[in-house]
Amino acid sequence: MSEENAIELRGVKKAWGDVIAVQAFDIGIRKGEFFSLLGPSGCGKTTTLRMIAGLEEPTGGQILLEGHDVSRVPAYRRNVHTVFQDYALFPHMTVRKNIWFPLKMRGVSLADARPRIDRVLRLVNMEGFERRLPQQLSGGQRQRIALARSLVDEPAALLLDEPLGALDFKLRGAMQKVLKDIQRDVGITFVYVTHDQTEALTMSDRIAVMKSGRVHQIGTPDEIYSRPATAFVASFIGEMNFLHGHRLPAEGEVPRAEVGGHRLRASRSTLTGTPAAGEEILVCIRTERVQVNSHRGTEHELQGTVRRIVYRGTDYEVTCDLAGQEVRAVVSAVDWNAVLHTGSPARLGFNSADITLFPGAEEKEIVQYSTEAV
Amino acid sequence: MGERISSPRALLRGVPITIWMLCLVAVPLGYTLLISFFQVEGLQIAAKLTIKNYRQFFTDPMYSGILLKSILLSLAIAVLGILTGYPLAYMLSFRVRRGKQALFMLSIIPLWVSYLVRIIAWRTILGNKGVINSALTAIGLIQEPLSFLLYNRFAIAVTLTYICIPFVFIPVYTALEKIPRNIMEASSDLGAGEFRTFLNVVLPLSLPGLVTGFIFAFIIALGDYIIPQQLGGTQGIMFGNLIWSQFGFAFNWPFGAALSFILLAISVTILGLTSRFGSTEGGFLSE
Repeated sequence: MSEENAIELRGVKKAWGDVIAVQAFDIGIRKGEFFSLLGPSGCGKTTTLRMIAGLEEPTGGQILLEGHDVSRVPAYRRNVHTVFQDYALFPHMTVRKNIWFPLKMRGVSLADARPRIDRVLRLVNMEGFERRLPQQLSGGQRQRIALARSLVDEPAALLLDEPLGALDFKLRGAMQKVLKDIQRDVGITFVYVTHDQTEALTMSDRIAVMKSGRVHQIGTPDEIYSRPATAFVASFIGEMNFLHGHRLPAEGEVPRAEVGGHRLRASRSTLTGTPAAGEEILVCIRTERVQVNSHRGTEHELQGTVRRIVYRGTDYEVTCDLAGQEVRAVVSAVDWNAVLHTGSPARLGFNSADITLFPGAEEKEIVQYSTEAV
Repeated sequence: MGERISSPRALLRGVPITIWMLCLVAVPLGYTLLISFFQVEGLQIAAKLTIKNYRQFFTDPMYSGILLKSILLSLAIAVLGILTGYPLAYMLSFRVRRGKQALFMLSIIPLWVSYLVRIIAWRTILGNKGVINSALTAIGLIQEPLSFLLYNRFAIAVTLTYICIPFVFIPVYTALEKIPRNIMEASSDLGAGEFRTFLNVVLPLSLPGLVTGFIFAFIIALGDYIIPQQLGGTQGIMFGNLIWSQFGFAFNWPFGAALSFILLAISVTILGLTSRFGSTEGGFLSE
């Protein structure tokens, strides 16, 4: 891979006894990139991060930092810093001494370190807090100090382990912007671990989606969202309808499926081989791509019955029955016509461009959230 | 921080501890203080107030000499206790993964063995025909048994250090266990190897435990009179023996009480000075 990579993982894996935490995989994280490891808890994202930091030793494979193999280099000699979820500030040191710490370890005196300490404090907008102790700061403030401490000696990369996990919702949103701005300002590579898909989508340049120690997909937020590689990725990010269907022979390049007697044309398919008779597959459509009683013409128009309507502020989630299966549609409050109510017939429209087919075997991997993942 | 005015219920809750403190601390101490100003007439303690007992201590240099030696020896024992107990606690807290509980129990199990049994055990280790001398003679390293092992201050120091180890180990171990592990990871992550993590993070954060252990060891060593009596020989008289002899042999309770109070005053002063080092900058472990 190219020298542009700040961090490179080659066949890195981790196992504890028989339990495989991370299956072998390769990633090249580019210089200056905001790279997220996204997945539900226990997917191996934190373990991966800790292996990059040197806090966990990989069972196999190589880790390269700026082109050098650091697989056997202890954490304290690696030019990367971790921002821990609960900040891990030194409780017996003031803010200034906390931030001085990495410089002190490089033999920089407090007097020489001062300008650099002041600079990072300005960067995280925490000037005037030098003499405070960690327990005199709020969660968000501690977060900023932890960030400043990790940035002060300009490491090759910053590893962030769910850094906003302990903050409340509003503060999290604000800190997301702060983090993204800082990353843009300093241009340091960020590797960001999160289970929050919104966080990953809004902040990242690229995302690796993981589950049960396996990397399902690496790509830009747009690729991950609109072209999920597996049914799991499709279910974990955004809101997706999964319909049981049967595979039909492709029509030229166009994959086709049958759902409840309807023949549907799809835009993408991860199915391989030739269709077997009655092969069960998953037919996926984003909830916001399903139109209910819309005047806009769509390729496919299917008749269903409204089962449930949930008002969510900016939109309504309409759950319909379609030949015994549930189809959820998100209708913007602006487009809402009050004609719909429980039990009323609904015309469900969608285009083949919005349909993706996955093998039926992937159904067990699906994560279903009725609303956004919290 | 707390409210000045307490509710009657809160006051009521304070009654048992107050009675406890009165019966077990205040009254005995007050009584001792009182009789330290009495004097002995014949075989009777006469309730005539005098400062004779205190004057005797300050005029005869033998008493202050023994006191000074006792304090120095106790400080040395406390330091030795830290030097042995701290590494033990450190290893157990940070290095041992399996069998931590069992090793912890092993470390404090000496506390369950009778004090006298442990002292006699050390006599059989250090004695002329003891374990050390027999072993050294057997392998031909020495012809005559080493005599400096027993019946001197060396023997007192070794045995009292041994007695003190669990009392140092327990508070230090507790302090070490309280240090969040991710703080040590952060230290390593930010460029500190194990030794510098110890100096910059572990040691300051375990300082309260270390000071507590030091104080325990110092108090135990300063107050002990059985070990000097059993293993100290002629040069091994400690201040504790002096006090004990006033009560046990000389039947001069008032003088013994005065000596006790002088020892108490000095211990309290030393403890006051040491405990200042016990709070870290943030008072992290003082809560």
